[in-house]
Amino acid sequence: MLSVAGLTRRFGEHLALDDVSFDVRPGRMTGFVGANGAGKTTTMRIILGVLAANGGAVTWQGEPLSNEVRRDFGYMPEERGLYPKMKIHEQLVFFGRLHGLDSLRAAERTDKILGRLGLAERAGDTLETLSLGNQQRVQIAAALVHEPIALVLDEPFSGLDPLAVDAMVDLLREEVTPEVPVLFSSHQLELVERLCDDLVVLSRGKVVAAGPVAELAAGPAATYRLVVDGDAGWLRDVPGIKVRDVAGATALFDVVTDPDGGLVQQVLQQAMSRGRVLEFGPERVALSDVFREATR
Amino acid sequence: MSNETLRHPWQLVAQREISTKIRDKTFIGSTAFMLLVVLAAVIIPALVAGNSGPDKIAVLDDSGAKVVAVADGIKGGDSYEATRTADVAAAEQLVKDGEVEAALLPGKNGFEVLGKQRVDSGLQDSLREAAANLGMEQNAARAGLTPEQLRAGSQLQERLLDPGPLPEIVANFVNIGLALAFYMTALGFGMMIAQSVVQEKESRVVEILAAAVPIRALLWGKVIGNTVLALTQIVVIAAASLLGLLATGQADILEVIAPVAGWFVVFFVLGFVALAGLWAVAGSLATRQEDLGSTTLPGQMVLMIPFFFSVFAGAEAKSVASFIPIASSMAMPGRMLTEHVPLWQPLLAIVFLLVATVLIVRLGARLYERTLLRTGRRLGYREAISIKAS
Repeated sequence: MLSVAGLTRRFGEHLALDDVSFDVRPGRMTGFVGANGAGKTTTMRIILGVLAANGGAVTWQGEPLSNEVRRDFGYMPEERGLYPKMKIHEQLVFFGRLHGLDSLRAAERTDKILGRLGLAERAGDTLETLSLGNQQRVQIAAALVHEPIALVLDEPFSGLDPLAVDAMVDLLREEVTPEVPVLFSSHQLELVERLCDDLVVLSRGKVVAAGPVAELAAGPAATYRLVVDGDAGWLRDVPGIKVRDVAGATALFDVVTDPDGGLVQQVLQQAMSRGRVLEFGPERVALSDVFREATR
Repeated sequence: MSNETLRHPWQLVAQREISTKIRDKTFIGSTAFMLLVVLAAVIIPALVAGNSGPDKIAVLDDSGAKVVAVADGIKGGDSYEATRTADVAAAEQLVKDGEVEAALLPGKNGFEVLGKQRVDSGLQDSLREAAANLGMEQNAARAGLTPEQLRAGSQLQERLLDPGPLPEIVANFVNIGLALAFYMTALGFGMMIAQSVVQEKESRVVEILAAAVPIRALLWGKVIGNTVLALTQIVVIAAASLLGLLATGQADILEVIAPVAGWFVVFFVLGFVALAGLWAVAGSLATRQEDLGSTTLPGQMVLMIPFFFSVFAGAEAKSVASFIPIASSMAMPGRMLTEHVPLWQPLLAIVFLLVATVLIVRLGARLYERTLLRTGRRLGYREAISIKAS
């Protein structure tokens, strides 16, 4: 597990990170969201050792993250960049070796990834001759070539069309072994919702929400949605719940008091005894609402 | 390429630096150009000198021929040759046509030397000395003296307490040549180092590099890779000029140069490495190629001032310069070639240079670490020094 604990970073007078703590659990995609300037890139650069923190620590499996371990991480910085005039095969082998692979293994991995990206026949071309989309693919290949033990991707999908995003996601799924923790930042919340298991929301340098996407999207209050084959107005008379909204057959209600914990089931039974139940369940909140709520 | 996992990432950085550069057209072009210039400098003078042979001097009679023969002896032989002509008019014609270098004609109270536009001063001196010697010997014989009696007590001999291994003109030439070799290489490779650093900043690849390996490893890789390239370039050029010297039968120069070659390498490597650290910093202060003009200025000054000093300063100033780090890389090998320098002097200069190199490289590494990842705007040296570790 990759963890940051109490990270603080100041740029002059500006407090960019204020006691930032969260975990990136193995085998889970952790989405890292926040408005521009919230401190996502700063956090990621500190994790990669490119920037120093004023306080706090980055740990790996409970130990302070050493340079040797960090060398096995994969990183895709916000500002993309490789050697424009270097051939892509040569370039990926170089990065593989820089991350500690021997030259044979680096060449093997490069062949495999280029093949998967459909760039095998461009292996001998220089990076600058590739289209921007393909350059982006090579960029992610550079982060994956050494079979990283953890991945930190800063806005990996920005500037990609939906098809390219899908291809990139497939590549990540295939290339990243189940125990690898992945942290990626993004502005595209629907994408984060679709891909991520966990979520960390950062606002003005502080973590304002963190946890599994499912829990965060469930919202703070227990709100349920009931759709029946008739009128749902009877809900107003059930003790212990507060109806938010009833429109004919559809009702939205909050559980207010539930001393023995069985109220929700009782409501369901009552509804079923009155007729057909078409839909019943906790109301999901869109991630964009969670985000707006958390960063307000 | 070896199949071992690299224990030292700087090796990989150095490898990339070298393999990129030896395929770079500009680098290949400039090396080929330098090779051509050096070969031309070695071979052309030999060809020109080989073609000329002894200068021809037109004479009318035996007495003239004798003067020319004596003058030839004074010059060490194979310098002048007498060409007999029938009369003054024929001699003038030969001079006019450039068939002979000059004509030695009977003149008022001795001889007259006749040239077309001017007479070479070396030739004039030799002829004057020869004519005077011969004339005085004849006069002495008439007065009943032998040539030995005539010359008794009139000889001037040279005795040097500290004879230099090379004649002065050659010595100056060699001094400038050695200093120039260092100056050109250090400047050329320095600019390449600064450019390669700023290219990594410009293309943002530096962020990935810095995340993968320590920044110092990046610096060392660049410095060592370029030092190896620079030395190789020098060795290739030296080997080519060696072949040129052998091919043109000038191998005797080697005997003079060989003992200093090892010293030159030591001074070269140390001076080069110290400067390479500075050049890398010049690159890391810049954010774009255009910034290099101003960030490399201190490096250029550090090279240029000692260069002109070691080339144009007087002997004493040169001796001082040969102890000052960086300047010593340009001045000391030349001094050792042209003067007798006691062994402790180059050793002391190396100690000074070594200390300076360590200090400069350490300062350079610190500045490099602090400024490499600042891609926002160009930084100044003073600003960089005041930046706290980030």
